[in-house]
Amino acid sequence: MIAVEGVVKRFGAHTVLGGVSLTVAPGEVVTILGSSGSGKSTLIRCINGLETLDGGRVTVDGLDVADPRQLAQARRLSATVFQLFNLYPHMTVLRNITLAPELVLRRPKNEVEAQARALLASVGLAGKADSYPGQLSGGQRQRVGICRALAMNPRYLLLDEVTSALDPEMTAEVLAILARLATQGTTMLFVTHEVEFARRISTRIVFLDQGRLIVDLPTDQFFAADGGLAHPRIRQFLSKMAPSSTVAGAPVSEILA
Amino acid sequence: MRHAGFTWHDGALLAQGLGVSLGLFAGTFLIGLILGSGAAVVRHFRVPALGTLLHTGLELLRNSPVLVQLFLVFFGVPALIHQPLTPVFAAGLTLSANTAAFVYFIAVAGLDAVGRDQVEAARAFGLSRIQLVRHILGPQALTFAVAPLVGLAVNQLQVTSLVSVIGVVDLTKAGDILNLRTLRPFAVWAMVGVLYFAAAKTLTLLGNRWERRLRAHAAPLGL
Repeated sequence: MIAVEGVVKRFGAHTVLGGVSLTVAPGEVVTILGSSGSGKSTLIRCINGLETLDGGRVTVDGLDVADPRQLAQARRLSATVFQLFNLYPHMTVLRNITLAPELVLRRPKNEVEAQARALLASVGLAGKADSYPGQLSGGQRQRVGICRALAMNPRYLLLDEVTSALDPEMTAEVLAILARLATQGTTMLFVTHEVEFARRISTRIVFLDQGRLIVDLPTDQFFAADGGLAHPRIRQFLSKMAPSSTVAGAPVSEILA
Repeated sequence: MRHAGFTWHDGALLAQGLGVSLGLFAGTFLIGLILGSGAAVVRHFRVPALGTLLHTGLELLRNSPVLVQLFLVFFGVPALIHQPLTPVFAAGLTLSANTAAFVYFIAVAGLDAVGRDQVEAARAFGLSRIQLVRHILGPQALTFAVAPLVGLAVNQLQVTSLVSVIGVVDLTKAGDILNLRTLRPFAVWAMVGVLYFAAAKTLTLLGNRWERRLRAHAAPLGL
């Protein structure tokens, strides 16, 4: 279980996270919604140890990420997919995927390569193993980013606005893969602006507003008129982000009207 | 007063001098390369006191004349430790440290040019700092640094001629000896100059080849 307890993160005088608590249990798909600057990505970065905490505690299966030794262990349990892909440009697609499993998990090279090739085939990139990231489209790069994360056999997949830098067509490519992972029972913590998609695949949705978690509800309750939608801030957000999203068959816009 | 003409021994003397120059250059450049890039990695990871100390020291070395550094080591240090240093040792020490200073600033720029996003990805995936340097930072920083390093190498090869003033019998000192014996300065220094040129040009060509090879691999980097 990922447990975020009262996490505070400040950048100078600006408080990005003002005491956020959240849990992600195995098998769950938890989506974090919220407008830009609400602290969504920072929350992910506090879980994978890319930010140091100014308060509170984050544990991954009981491992405290504030402790360097435990963080090293925790990082073997979760894998991150980044908004801007963050691939290693000087390495082939295959090497991008096999690097961490070989170096960090110390798995045998041929086993990892076989898995990497299978993963690439499963996302429709079988022929790209020897290409370099710079030779791929954005959607292809992000699919490589997903393969790179999955090759770690992670218990938790952390997805940080993974489609924000992609055009609608490429977004669809990537979301199709994530939907398949969700149905396979992959545990995911998913930061996104794709409200419709989040609604389809999430077991729970949390809403962040100015560094505070204002709602944490099962997906159907989040979209219920007496649930998440009872919150003016969430209604406002949804009317802008997903004017066509539907609640119980009716577009959110109609319910909001 | 009669002076001897050129003999076969003079050729041997020049060849020996050239060997000393090249050996001194190769040895000190290699040591400088290791020390300079090591210091750059220390700075990159913001190791508190050590980083600042190295930066200050190397800044001093980069911004003072090599000849002054050479005199300081060869004449100054023995006065301090009451122990003479051999010319070759003093020359090796000075040139290594001086090379390290220039390599340091090139390596720092190379490391800084590697995208932060990849470094974060590697960290999030659990790579250790050593693995990060070896697999992510190092190869890419080298691609950025190779052109300035080749330029530095050509320069440092020529700087070795300064060690002749403390008595190391390098190519310049050999030329000096030859000149005193034959009193034909134009012929002697032209010959010495041509030998330096040949060595530097060879180095440039080798460096360019290395650079092309690195860049061929780095083509997808968009360099």
